[in-house]
Amino acid sequence: MLTYLIILLDDTSVSFCHADNPRCERRLIPLDVLRQGIRFAMMENLTIQFVYPDYPLPADYASVIESIDHAKIKPTVEAADVWVTDKPFEGEVDVPVVLRITRQELFAQTEEISNLIGHAPRLNIVITDIGAFTDDDFERYRALLADISARVETLTKEGRMPWVSLVTDRMALTKMNNCGAGDSSITLAPNGRFYVCPAFYYEAPEDSIGDLEAGIDIRNRQLYKLEYAPLCRRCDAYQCRRCIWLNRKLTREVNTPSHEQCVVAHLERNASRTLLANIRKANPNFLAETKIEEIDYLDPFEMKREK
Amino acid sequence: MDVDTAKYITFIVTKDCQLACKYCYLVGKNSKERMSWEVAKQAVDYILAHESDMPEEAVVWDFIGGEPFLEIDLIDKVCDYIKIEMYRRNHHWFNSYRFSFSTNGINYHTEKVQQFIKKNSTHLSIGITIDGTQRKHDLNRIWKTPEMERGIMPKPEEERGSYADVVKNIPLWLEQFPDDSTKVTISSADIPYICESVLHLYGLGIHEVNINVVFEDVWKEGDDSLFQEQLMQLADAIIDGGYYRDYACSFFAEHIGKPMDIETENQNWCGAGMMLAVDAAGNFYPCTRFAAYSLRSKKPIIIGNVHDGINKNLLRPFLTLDRFTQSPRKCIECEVASGCAWCQGENYDAAHTETIYERSTAICLMHKARVRANNYYWNKLYRKLELEGLREDYDENHRKSSQTPC
Repeated sequence: MLTYLIILLDDTSVSFCHADNPRCERRLIPLDVLRQGIRFAMMENLTIQFVYPDYPLPADYASVIESIDHAKIKPTVEAADVWVTDKPFEGEVDVPVVLRITRQELFAQTEEISNLIGHAPRLNIVITDIGAFTDDDFERYRALLADISARVETLTKEGRMPWVSLVTDRMALTKMNNCGAGDSSITLAPNGRFYVCPAFYYEAPEDSIGDLEAGIDIRNRQLYKLEYAPLCRRCDAYQCRRCIWLNRKLTREVNTPSHEQCVVAHLERNASRTLLANIRKANPNFLAETKIEEIDYLDPFEMKREK
Repeated sequence: MDVDTAKYITFIVTKDCQLACKYCYLVGKNSKERMSWEVAKQAVDYILAHESDMPEEAVVWDFIGGEPFLEIDLIDKVCDYIKIEMYRRNHHWFNSYRFSFSTNGINYHTEKVQQFIKKNSTHLSIGITIDGTQRKHDLNRIWKTPEMERGIMPKPEEERGSYADVVKNIPLWLEQFPDDSTKVTISSADIPYICESVLHLYGLGIHEVNINVVFEDVWKEGDDSLFQEQLMQLADAIIDGGYYRDYACSFFAEHIGKPMDIETENQNWCGAGMMLAVDAAGNFYPCTRFAAYSLRSKKPIIIGNVHDGINKNLLRPFLTLDRFTQSPRKCIECEVASGCAWCQGENYDAAHTETIYERSTAICLMHKARVRANNYYWNKLYRKLELEGLREDYDENHRKSSQTPC
């Protein structure tokens, strides 16, 4: 069910997910398009997430934006509901942080990143080159997750459980919680057209799924739903982003994840399982509804092929 | 060897053909794209070097075109190389292989083709396509003219059918491959000739006729009724003429036309992705139907090439496809779903988006007509056999269609 409308306020709005925004030329969303977008969201009962560029918006935009309940995703921490950054931060931050980072940067800065844990209410780590993971990278990622888990475990035992997407999300989930692009969320771009997600706009602006006048027309819409994803619908790596854009980029199909995405998600799942077991040694009732079974695969594709 | 568990590897050796069949799905045929020896060798080397990626017990090396026997010199050299390399590498496919051809039959009698057949006779299957009676065959299977390559189509009176050039080779083919079948394709214009054509092929001595309607959306209003009528005439002719024991026609199959369970009968019909095709440029495809010359409106799906190998991520959608995910609700709830086929390539070509997960239902009414005629056939045949006390004998000894989904 469609629940969220992401509105890109500018062509240079910050990317908060796996895809980089290649656009560097400013193109502010016209005020009338912004108003129509908000009106559309109100009529469709959608929650709006505004995505900001790195420059201040004209004054008349603020009153329009504030005319509806929303969340602000910003490249600066000031007045943000979610702060997106590509570098480890210093000090304390009082909003959730999205850290976008390549796998090599992640491996090179393991200690710095571990030290961020507990200094923001939530840390979402988004790896921007999942498709490039090699077998060696998987092993390094396994080790990194263990380091992060150790830090989370220490803080949790101190009564200060931090939220770090890579290892804590799965512990708290009892069903899939994925990207939802094309299913629970769509994006309105500055050109007044709708897209499956911002990445689809960055890559192929001609490939829209409707506009404010004609409405939404998502062809083969069912393929964005979990039950139409053969690999994912029985998977229990509930925290997996199941990035629709990466699916299409790496496998050509929006409903089929790549090997790399599956393995990364299962390494996180397994790290969560170990972390949960360790925390429960001291606190047996910790997140009591969560069950994470032991499995002997990292890519459900291999299991499906064997059947 | 068990072809049901074999890996199918298809060499598109040429995109040229002597014929210009009107129903042919190959919209991009041309005389320029011919496979070189270097590309063929690289393909064989790649495939045999990746033994663990292709664990199937047996292999069918399939050569198609266009018309494959236009490239008999290349094919002969490639097949020799395959045999030598399978032996040299001690590959598990050695002695568990078959070379397979689907030909228009025109060059079948030529010296080079015959020499090739003699050399490889123990590991060979060849199907000659003959569409039935002369009027049915010549309706679609016409000779290509030089003007056609420039987009100029001949007037109907100028068309030259190929029946006479094919039928002369049928006796030799049946002498060499008495158990092989022919493949018949039905498009809208062919429907009135189905019954006479199958009987004609039986009369030529062909004991197995594998016959299919095209998957493309070519059907006109009323075609399903005509189709049903033709199949019921054919049913009467096969039963009354006593052909049912020693001859097979794939239109009549006992297990089609039943509802299908969404959990236990959720398999994909088509084998795209489990097979591998390679073209003259050295590109790999999940099946030939995804090569550019097969597609009307979509880009080809290339999953790798002989230099860089196969991108396994691009195969994942093909290998995880199931019936539920690609079928519209009317197909899932269909009371006569079993036996209703689809072609992944045609699904892709006809889809509203760039997906292989949208099943084309262009043959829906034709399948339902087939099911009704099929029910009639089996009810009539079983009653006759029971009255004659021959039901058990029939069950044990009758010839069954060998056709499997591609």
